[in-house]
Amino acid sequence: MSETPGTTPANNSLPLGPTPRFLTRNFGVPGIDRIEVYRQHGGYESLAKALTQFEPDALVEEVKKSGLRGRGGAGFATGMKWGFLPKDNPKPRYLCVNADESEPGTFKDRVMIMEVCPHLLVEGTIISSFATKVHHAFIYVRGELPLAERQMARAVREAYDAGLLGKNILGSGFDLDITVHRGAGAYICGEESALLESLEGKRGYPRLKPPFPAVVGLYSSPTVINNVETIATVPAVVEHGADVYAAYGTEKSKGTRLYCLSGHVERPGNYELPLGVPLRTLIEDYGGGVRGGRQVKAVVPGGSSTPFLKPSQLDTPLDYESVAAAGSMLGSAGVIVLDDQTCIVGAVLRMTEFYRDESCGKCTPCREGTFWLVQLLERLEAGHGKESDIPLLADICDNIFGRSFCPLGDAATMSIVSSIKLFYNEYLHHVTAHGCLVGPRARGVAVGAGANV
Amino acid sequence: MGEQQELVTITIDGREVSVPPGTLLWEAARQLDIEIPIYCYHPKMDPLGACRMCFVEVKGMPKPMTACTTTVTPNMVVSTDSPMVKKSRRGTLEFLLINHPLDCPICDKGGECDLQDFTLRHGPGGTRFDLYKRHYVKPIAVSDRVLLDRERCIACQRCVRFCQDVAMENGLVMMERGFKTEVGVEEDAPFDSIFSGNVVEMCPVGALTAKSYRFVTRPWELKRTASVCGQCSVGCNVLVDVRVNKVLRQYSRTNDSIDEGFLCDRGRWNTELVNSPQRLRTPLIRRNGALEPATWEEALQLVAQRLRAVASTHGASAIGGIGSTHTTNEEAYLFQKLLRAGLGTNNVDHFHGRFPAMERNGLPWVWTDSIAGLEKASHIVLLGTDTYNRQPIVDLRIRRAIRKGTRVYVVTPEPSRLDRLAAGTIRYNEGQTGAVSRALLSAVLSEPLTRGDFATKRAASVAALRDSLAHTNTEALAAFAGADATALRALAREIAQADGAVLLYDEMATRESTGETLAQDVLQLALLTDNFGRPGAGTGPLMEDNNSLGARDMGLLPDQLPGYRMLADGAALAQAWGMTLPDTAGMDYDAMLAGGVRALYVMGADPARHATPEQLAQLEALDLLVVQELFLTETAKRATVVLPAVAYMEKDGTFTNTERAVQVVRRAMQELPGARADWQILIGVANALGLGWRYGSPLEVLAEIGRLVPLYAGISRRGLGAEGVRWPFSAGESDATGKPTLVGSPHLTWTMVEHGVTGNGDGAEPALPRAHGEQG
Amino acid sequence: MIGEEVQVRLREIVSRYPSARSAMLPCLHLVQEEQGYITPEGIIAVAEAIGAKPDEVESVVTFYSMYTEEPKGRCVIKVCTSIACYLRGCDDVLAHLEQRLGIRKGETSSDGRFTLEAAECLAACGMAPAMQVNGRFFENVTTESADTLVDYLVSAGDTAALTSAWQPVSDGRGMATVSRLDAANPAVEAVEAADTADTTAQQNGAHER
Ligand SMILES: Cc1cc2nc3c(=O)[nH]c(=O)nc-3n(C[C@H](O)[C@H](O)[C@H](O)COP(=O)(O)O)c2cc1C
Ligand code: SF4
Ligand code: FES
Repeated sequence: MSETPGTTPANNSLPLGPTPRFLTRNFGVPGIDRIEVYRQHGGYESLAKALTQFEPDALVEEVKKSGLRGRGGAGFATGMKWGFLPKDNPKPRYLCVNADESEPGTFKDRVMIMEVCPHLLVEGTIISSFATKVHHAFIYVRGELPLAERQMARAVREAYDAGLLGKNILGSGFDLDITVHRGAGAYICGEESALLESLEGKRGYPRLKPPFPAVVGLYSSPTVINNVETIATVPAVVEHGADVYAAYGTEKSKGTRLYCLSGHVERPGNYELPLGVPLRTLIEDYGGGVRGGRQVKAVVPGGSSTPFLKPSQLDTPLDYESVAAAGSMLGSAGVIVLDDQTCIVGAVLRMTEFYRDESCGKCTPCREGTFWLVQLLERLEAGHGKESDIPLLADICDNIFGRSFCPLGDAATMSIVSSIKLFYNEYLHHVTAHGCLVGPRARGVAVGAGANV
Repeated sequence: MGEQQELVTITIDGREVSVPPGTLLWEAARQLDIEIPIYCYHPKMDPLGACRMCFVEVKGMPKPMTACTTTVTPNMVVSTDSPMVKKSRRGTLEFLLINHPLDCPICDKGGECDLQDFTLRHGPGGTRFDLYKRHYVKPIAVSDRVLLDRERCIACQRCVRFCQDVAMENGLVMMERGFKTEVGVEEDAPFDSIFSGNVVEMCPVGALTAKSYRFVTRPWELKRTASVCGQCSVGCNVLVDVRVNKVLRQYSRTNDSIDEGFLCDRGRWNTELVNSPQRLRTPLIRRNGALEPATWEEALQLVAQRLRAVASTHGASAIGGIGSTHTTNEEAYLFQKLLRAGLGTNNVDHFHGRFPAMERNGLPWVWTDSIAGLEKASHIVLLGTDTYNRQPIVDLRIRRAIRKGTRVYVVTPEPSRLDRLAAGTIRYNEGQTGAVSRALLSAVLSEPLTRGDFATKRAASVAALRDSLAHTNTEALAAFAGADATALRALAREIAQADGAVLLYDEMATRESTGETLAQDVLQLALLTDNFGRPGAGTGPLMEDNNSLGARDMGLLPDQLPGYRMLADGAALAQAWGMTLPDTAGMDYDAMLAGGVRALYVMGADPARHATPEQLAQLEALDLLVVQELFLTETAKRATVVLPAVAYMEKDGTFTNTERAVQVVRRAMQELPGARADWQILIGVANALGLGWRYGSPLEVLAEIGRLVPLYAGISRRGLGAEGVRWPFSAGESDATGKPTLVGSPHLTWTMVEHGVTGNGDGAEPALPRAHGEQG
Repeated sequence: MIGEEVQVRLREIVSRYPSARSAMLPCLHLVQEEQGYITPEGIIAVAEAIGAKPDEVESVVTFYSMYTEEPKGRCVIKVCTSIACYLRGCDDVLAHLEQRLGIRKGETSSDGRFTLEAAECLAACGMAPAMQVNGRFFENVTTESADTLVDYLVSAGDTAALTSAWQPVSDGRGMATVSRLDAANPAVEAVEAADTADTTAQQNGAHER
């Protein structure tokens, strides 16, 4: 593996080298999904360390110090989230691991962790539960991922058999049960409060916030919810110490992430790289560049819920702040690359259909708005649209954005609003030439110059 | 003042308002008469925040906020008509309208539809949607009574949240998701709940409509009158909607202390009765064995003449009257006055008969707490009741209590709809409610589980009572009743440890073979376990009919005068009436039907329907049977004279509900031509008898009641206000116009129960309550 | 029919949760696996097991896309049609399968063998286009490899479908791409194969009953 281009020379003195593998170190080891193999490779040593060398509160401090931020999308500081649990609530606390991975463009939790190395997540869950004084944790696995669910269930069973779960774990006096729970097909259940509703056996409608789950969560008890990758990172923080972990990444975005690279690149896949790695490095050096030697047309940097970046923004470092400054979001780090032969209207239509079909239907703007958006985009894409449809699309998005009950509605507008901004002429072309500007269905002549930035 | 300091002051549209912390912005705006449009929010349910209609702008917040979910914080500055708010509301309305059919012209909701109204006030003038609407089959029946038009549904979830969260019954649920979301019913869970009609009223659009109201009228053609339901003893507040003298529907009129804005289907759709073509439209007189039409003058003269004849041949005690549990207080009062003062007999009763009363002016069987108080109870014990079918809106309140954590025990012979939600159920053999209640009392005495001042101060009486019950212990009584003794003992223990238990029994259970001492035993149980005299603790019966309690209050009893005064205390009344009153107890219902009387005057009752063959024979052998009724009932068919009466929607007056609330009933429509209100008929009979009654309206009767009936002292229609007042009354503070307001008592003290509201304790240690005639 | 043995398993599932109602989704999965789809009987069995009303269960069933109240084919083929797979040609694969199987997406073949569905992003974007057959992933699918798969499924019959003997779909990049950082993980392959075998067995069993 080559050095990470773009890292500063100072980084060469980093404790674990420039591209540490906090999560994926053992992923090539045959049988790493089995507890014996996992233990042979240092597995559950972080747990032993956590139980013997830390008080729960100190562990929360350590995670705070590591700068670990949530990998589920919003990037909220994990230690701080744990700190929000009320101290004086007599109810039991719960931890829910969000393994509902369904954001288009995101495929890290399933393949990289749950299927390949489930014990990493089990270990992370035990340590995190210990830190947050939880005695019952749930792993909510997306229903469409049966293998991931079975791997998790088996890993949990193995952990029970090895005395790593249940009563008095490793003689520490700490008790924990883990229930692996299987969803049933609903993207919205990845939203934390909808996940709780679903886990309570209801329709996956998001809940009103506040109160936040940390205060009133599962069964109205204080509840921690974290993404799989977030929890799976905790053992590394314990193993190496917060300082080593925090030595990676940028000032405000610490450590490494599992970037999910997909779309028109030569070598799509998962790459564990420090936060702040430039987009270009990921696409060109790791992904082997755009497929077939074509040019980048646009990139979605953080799953389909984030606005497009344009080719001139390829040098944006992939950390929360820099991507935000570029007008998008790092989100789930699902990097989707679109080449120059992609019809943007078609791509956006496909992304919007997802939100229409996955809207829970609770709130009006998201339920009705996405229904309308899809019909408009269909009409435009088919070449039957009107010019006024384009500002109408934008205005519908404006009426959804910030008005919907939960962020799913907002997410639905991202690709539309940003693509109209970046590729207005391509939309217009669909109206005037009744067909696509690029790709196999290209038709007519481009209108105006500088259509595509 | 302390209370004011607690308020939070905020500014809405430049005007300040101070409200308690936790108040929703929607509510705060309402106090300033600022309308914030809502669909999903319903004040009786938790905020949902789903429809996104109620947007307001809060200074400092980048996004519009939903007023139905945002609570006030000090110094908040809110705008309800900023450009941001206007655009957001327009946006939501436009979204709601893209899939809404344009069938307003034939929609039953048209004219009172929130989607129409808010679109007019806040919506876009047109739509930019020129694509394909979602279509569904036009209305589908979701129940026998309710239709659902899914195209019109705006997915606000009001109806499903009512069914699932408030009624906690099978019913409507959300189906599918996203843009395919629809409301539906699961085949194996039919929407047969007695609360179903509420969803029609709550639906903000025309998605849920009543079959009975389909294509019937436009709402602006309706004349709307605020009244009280005439079905059961709960007394829910209603709006009666009438067009051209036909009742087309009833809607609720929110009274938080009684119905919280809900009605049961029995009351809501009780319109067939008044609209029925079977109604009597003319007096009938039996001629040559057949009932034939007659004029009112003929009929009234005949009644008077024949009553006089019976009195002169057989004496006044040969005349009896059976009154009604459905007519107004005023009518019940006039009825017993006619018999007592006009005809000189105490033979007055009603079907449900008398409760075991004490030999004073006491009220040992009254519901000491209130419907609203149920929510404060830690335990509710239901003895021999079926609240779901008999007092549905009390049942609904019990369900609310259950949501708040109250433990409910259903102790009944038959399974009930509440069982599923109850903390426990105990079954026993039909007719044994009295034995079961005594078994509970016996358990409390034997363990012993008594607690509190009341029991301590009466240690000697308690000991005596224990000894007297020793031979019938819990186990023996339970075995006799076919109940599980262990479960009864466990329940007794819970009652004795409750923060506050409410023990309710059904009025009808007191008529069972073991019911004689039921009221007394349950009262003792409550007193000896200190579950008494505060909100959320107490005891009493659940009455049967809309004016069951009023009928008793007004003296439709053979041995007590209005207000439960003993016959011996009748001097004041006699003087006021200018008559001497008979001073011996009259015959009760059964005695009158057993051949005790020669002439029987029946108002709003149907003894023949419940009669034994012997009683029927006696009815048929009477010299005179006068019946005031809406229909030709079984009794009316046997009458000498039938006088056509009217339903509650056609007259003014007051009803008294099961928790002692006296409420105003208003005339919503003209009487059916040919029929007269019972009070008018009674005045007609009285005057035909030469009594010279001068009442011009029920108001004047009520005024007399206020003067002469201690329990109702000071009552006035104005004082009762829109929502009624619970007796006993006292004059409270003055209202804005300086008139004193009437204040009722939410829960009764032991002194009131024991001595009535006029009697006063004699200072000696009061004994334990005991039944009428029982030696203590 | 929901027999006693299933009732026992339902109760076992319920016991894993602090609140019975939480067992809703797993219990529904179980009755669906048992009967091939969610039957009215299944709804009542679940309602009883978790102490909910049948209408609440039905409401939940209709919310989640994995539950079906109609019988499906013995092989349910789901082609991911979300953005990453779209960019890499999933529409062609889907169209090809429609033609090959003679059914439109969302339909079941008349012999009850195949159901073809479009799926939302299956978290396999790096191996796009991706599809699932009875829950097992097939990645980097082409129209040709999809054909080979159908050939295999048709020739092998229902019982043999997707056992470990079946390998040809992966173009050698499947698992390799998963862990681009490392070589393929043989352990996972094995588990997946074994796993699929018993899913298939269950499904087939269900249909024989
Ligand atoms: C519509 C929607 C879908 C989401 N889906 C996921 C998901 O599949 N997995 C996930 O971990 N977080 C998802 N999230 C984010 C979660 O709500 C939550 O923020 C996250 O699980 C918190 O974990 P973290 O702090 O470890 O990131 C989603 C959020 C939204 C609004
Ligand atoms: S039927 Fe009416 S009350 Fe029910 S969700 Fe639809 S609009 Fe709301
Ligand atoms: S009334 Fe506020 S969101 Fe519906």
